[in-house]
Amino acid sequence: MVSSQVDTQEVLMEIRNVDRAFGGVKAVDNVSMDLRAGIITTLVGPNGAGKTTLFNLITGELSKDSGTIKWLGQPINRIKPFQAARAGILRTFQDLRLFNEMSVEDNILTSIEANSVPLPMAKSQRKARREKVEYALSRTGLIDKRHIRAKDLAYAERKFLSMARVMATDARLWLLDEPASGLDPNSYEKFLEILREEVKQGVTVCIIEHNLDIVIGISDRIAFLDRGKLLADDEPQTVLNDPDLRAIYFGERT
Amino acid sequence: MEAYLLNLVILISIYSILASTLNFIMGYAGIYSLAHAVFFGVGAYAGTFVATHFSASIFFTLPAAMIAGAVLSLILALPALRVRGEYFVAASLGLQVLAVTIFSEWKSVTGGIGGLIGIPPLDIAGFEVFKPNQFVFVTVVGLIIVLFIINRLVHSSFGRSLRAIRDSESAAAAFGKNVPLIKTISVVISSALTAVAGVMYASYLSFINVESFTLDTSVLIMAMVIIGGTGTQAGPIIGAALLLLLPSLISYLDFLPQTEIGSIQQIIYGLGMALLMIYRPGGIVGLKKQSGGGKK
Repeated sequence: MVSSQVDTQEVLMEIRNVDRAFGGVKAVDNVSMDLRAGIITTLVGPNGAGKTTLFNLITGELSKDSGTIKWLGQPINRIKPFQAARAGILRTFQDLRLFNEMSVEDNILTSIEANSVPLPMAKSQRKARREKVEYALSRTGLIDKRHIRAKDLAYAERKFLSMARVMATDARLWLLDEPASGLDPNSYEKFLEILREEVKQGVTVCIIEHNLDIVIGISDRIAFLDRGKLLADDEPQTVLNDPDLRAIYFGERT
Repeated sequence: MEAYLLNLVILISIYSILASTLNFIMGYAGIYSLAHAVFFGVGAYAGTFVATHFSASIFFTLPAAMIAGAVLSLILALPALRVRGEYFVAASLGLQVLAVTIFSEWKSVTGGIGGLIGIPPLDIAGFEVFKPNQFVFVTVVGLIIVLFIINRLVHSSFGRSLRAIRDSESAAAAFGKNVPLIKTISVVISSALTAVAGVMYASYLSFINVESFTLDTSVLIMAMVIIGGTGTQAGPIIGAALLLLLPSLISYLDFLPQTEIGSIQQIIYGLGMALLMIYRPGGIVGLKKQSGGGKK
């Protein structure tokens, strides 16, 4: 199932035999795969294939029925979402889940403030946070919109804010759930450019994406899920040229 | 006349503390509590207990009341905040009902239904506050201090975390926020500050009984927040002032039949609430915010 291709890249996350059923339906069925450092792994597959469920299992949003997940060599089987984030695993949501009543700037700022207790901060620490926010604002082109409430942004801006929240953090692994869906060609070019740049700087990305142009444009590796099963996890060309997978992908997609 | 006005200002200040502390959890964290009067009562009883049995100095009564309020709120928050928001409303309602029973029955501490009389005045470093013109100063300063604390919290990373949780709990957690812990801390802070109002109230009236801490009071405080403007800082104060002044204003209207004043007051409340919900759903202060949100 998992490709035997030699890969010297460090494995950040090791997913082994992970199962999760809803009622009688196996949403994720005995999935094993690795997420390797410094590359973009794309999860593809028809709707309902279990891609988002897999994200939810990784971050602890949902509990696994069985299987193990290791992060940097340590098992994280009973992790809670906030602990996953603090360990360096961040995810975005398909429905964005922005902090709608808060300004663009506060959305980003609060995303890098994980402390629970209201303690005063050192000046240098505050400055470092400011810089991260400025960085994310300028990279996503939201710098002029910083005081606008998230819910008053246009669609593409909302998608970029969802990215900006992740970009400002120090997370090592980004799990992006259809971050480019619905973007116009200009916007998704900008999105791809941001993503490539961040990966170059050392971020590891696992992305759920339907648009084949984007899949081809960014993937270092493609994992193909269908009805909860991992059918392939390989080089992009190998997966995209597999006639069986193409049939599933185009045949079942509505 | 002067005494009458001072009395109003004192009560408005005390209720402004209650409304502001409720708004802190309601407007910023999205936690709806129907037990706010319980913490008001616990502050009043605990402060009175310390004042009559030990020392009337606010350096003892205030911390004792705040600790009692905080500890009791933990008992509510720890189980109730781990589940979804609706359960907290139900759990707080349960606590409110339970607390009224305890306030009425625990005679050695609360004096039972009859309540407690002869509560000593506030003692601030040896200075006894019992004249209304001194007391008004204390309550206004108390209100300012409470507002200052809330203001600092709301504008800190903690306040941002609360608002993030209010807007999307799952996203807040996905960005590393320990949602149950942050919510619990906010409830504990709110309850401890609420207890301060209880201490002031008890020593101002020098008499308390369970009537002041019933579900009616909790609902009244919530109405003050909603009418004034949830999630705004001036809103709860305006709401408190309005709801406390309304009865007096109505009694000044000579043309109204004085014997029916009670039911007329209820009609005006009902009408006011309905109109507010239609025209200013964000509350009196929340108007601007609301119209801004409507535009796309």
